[in-house]
Amino acid sequence: MRTGRTPELDDLFAALADPTRRAIVERLLAAGELSVGEVAAGFAISVQAISRHLQVLERAGLVDRRGERQWRYVHVRTDALEPIENWLSRQRRYWTSALDRLEAVAAARTPKRRKS
Amino acid sequence: MSNETDMTLRLERLIPMQPDRLFALWTEPAQLAKWWAPEGYEPSVHVLDSRPGGRWRVAMRRADGNEVATSGVYRIVEPPRRLAFTWAWEDASGARGLETEVTVTFEATPGGTRLLLLQERFEGAQARDNHSRGWSASFGRLAAMSADTCQHEIRP
Repeated sequence: MRTGRTPELDDLFAALADPTRRAIVERLLAAGELSVGEVAAGFAISVQAISRHLQVLERAGLVDRRGERQWRYVHVRTDALEPIENWLSRQRRYWTSALDRLEAVAAARTPKRRKS
Repeated sequence: MSNETDMTLRLERLIPMQPDRLFALWTEPAQLAKWWAPEGYEPSVHVLDSRPGGRWRVAMRRADGNEVATSGVYRIVEPPRRLAFTWAWEDASGARGLETEVTVTFEATPGGTRLLLLQERFEGAQARDNHSRGWSASFGRLAAMSADTCQHEIRP
């Protein structure tokens, strides 16, 4: 079992907890790569506010920036969701086997006939 | 993609035991110790104060001495219907991993109990109420889109 501190996961979950940031990620996934201005054009908030959201997403490892002169292009990192999926997969494995054991304990104590 | 990627783990079981007895398997230390720890791990229930606000902690030790623990705080204790608690793994140094909330509901059925387990990221009750509704659907779409562009191999 891998456990312990997960700062990477905390950042990922926190970054995606905000609806605007989720919408930004969805837009980028659909479009591939956009300039910061193009990202902002889809929202009723300032370019500055979009930039701050992008910084949070960048720190969490969800998006990368590519600079070309003064233009900044952003895209979603293809491996960004992997830590979340791995974490969820480990929880699923733990609980599936725990419920198997719970079910076995319960079945052993219940004097009813039961198919395996 | 599976529902793992909507960031909520959801498991359901039909268990041949009445809800009140099954509930006790979750809340009484000696009962919980019989099934909580994975194969090869010896559990020791340090505290199981099963009332709202009460703490719980179960350490699990392997033969090689390696120890991990699960711990948290009870949030809802409604025997024999509903149990909710925060949940995190602790490593050998006691560092806590990601904090989540586990909710278990017990519904009486003719053959015993339908048990539903949900595990979600814990952000505090208010944040959860504000965000959880839009969260799953939105992330589900996100995951479906990302599946086209990246192949994830789930590694153990």
